[in-house]
Amino acid sequence: MATNNDEKQAPNGRPPDPMEAFREVRDTYLDAWAKAMVETVNTDAYAKSTGTVLDTYLSASSPFRESVEKAMLRVLEQLSMPSRADFIALADRVTNIEMLLDDMDATLDRIEKALTNLASASRNANRAPAERVRRNRRKVKGVK
Amino acid sequence: MPEAAMISDPVTDLVEKLTAFNKAVTTRTVIAQTPKELVWALNKARVYRYIPVVPAEKRHPVPLLLVFALMNRPYILDLRPGHSFVEFMVKQGYDLYLLDWGAPGPEDTNLKFDDYTLEYMPRAIRKLKSIAGVEEFSMLGWCIGAILTTIYSALRPDDGLRNLILLTAPLDFSDKQAITFARWTDERYFDVDKVLAAFGNMPGEMIDYGARALKPVENYVVNYLKLWDNLDNPHVIEAWQAMNTWVTDNIPLAGGVFRQLIVDLYRNDRLMRGEMIIRGERVDLSRIRANLLTVIAEGDHITPPCQSKAVMSKVSSPDKELFSVPGGHIGIMAGSGANKLTWPHINGWLAARSK
Repeated sequence: MATNNDEKQAPNGRPPDPMEAFREVRDTYLDAWAKAMVETVNTDAYAKSTGTVLDTYLSASSPFRESVEKAMLRVLEQLSMPSRADFIALADRVTNIEMLLDDMDATLDRIEKALTNLASASRNANRAPAERVRRNRRKVKGVK
Repeated sequence: MPEAAMISDPVTDLVEKLTAFNKAVTTRTVIAQTPKELVWALNKARVYRYIPVVPAEKRHPVPLLLVFALMNRPYILDLRPGHSFVEFMVKQGYDLYLLDWGAPGPEDTNLKFDDYTLEYMPRAIRKLKSIAGVEEFSMLGWCIGAILTTIYSALRPDDGLRNLILLTAPLDFSDKQAITFARWTDERYFDVDKVLAAFGNMPGEMIDYGARALKPVENYVVNYLKLWDNLDNPHVIEAWQAMNTWVTDNIPLAGGVFRQLIVDLYRNDRLMRGEMIIRGERVDLSRIRANLLTVIAEGDHITPPCQSKAVMSKVSSPDKELFSVPGGHIGIMAGSGANKLTWPHINGWLAARSK
């Protein structure tokens, strides 16, 4: 006979969760909210409003950003330190060197491949006359 | 005393749950654990070769190169042991390579599709073929990586590409109503030059915001509620943390590419219209002859299915297949059902064409 506790248990053996009903309501609400928001963000009005916010931020921050950049450049010059532009130029040169090295690697690969093919062809060429001699000898023996 | 315990229990539970939640949200998981070796590097780009686990005589003779998007880390393909596409493919006997674009710095603001497809990719592929000792290879491009692989395949059709796999490929931008990003980046509302003048490269945080804002409730509310509801389930927490580690690891997009993406693709649909010019060469999709598998995510909000279908009629490939999978942009490859549906299908398709 089942006890009261057993009767209260859910089919999976766990005690019933009082929050389950709340979660179901919550999820239903969230589903509806999610669908509404997906539709909202895919509108011209939303695109216009976010565009305006971004544009305003960029316009407002531009003078501040430029003045900080200029000040920083002056400080770096006075301290005889390289600027961002110097590092960018250096990085460009390093990348160019990397590309040259990669080109050299490709050339070496081609040379190695050509030499391997040449060696292989040479081995085959050397093998061919010896094979001919062996065949001829067999023929001569056969005649005898 | 019992009364005090009854009062304090819910409070203690709540505090414990909050602590566990906080820990789960802030913990960064160890990801990308499949063993690999660096075989090529140029600027920020790297090619890794995954260490094979299948004997050479049993491996597929055609190597596979994975090309992921430019603005996310590629380790979503190798998220965690047991849930890794890379691990799965290595076990299936593929000689597997990954092209990791790295994070562009201020010196890379001018990098364009032109550089990635005609400077970096041919070099990486040359190295791959040299290491593998083969003339033919397969390539899998995902998201922006699919744009790169498509452009490359059209510009260099005689470079030995045998099989091309495109995952959630944003190639067709003609249906502006269906593509939310196209609406947001419309020239009436979005000044791409002003953004790039301010930042140089497109900041990863802004890209992340854009991706999340497509489904704001799911990404900002439901995602965390799912974790809250499953704090007693270590498997869910582990999966959530791995995905969260990847989602929050944002990298910028090179300014030149971002401008091309917005102006040439989102606004003018130049790739599909055959008007895209890369270093003076027109990208003609009909030049693609490689076997083609296009995988579409039915619930994709980042690349709606309509963006990936038109390419099927543009290419000249005699062997082509469109495979539609239930799921989202990332879920089809990194979700819980990926190892039962998407991965086996890709493996089956590719294995038959890698002999």
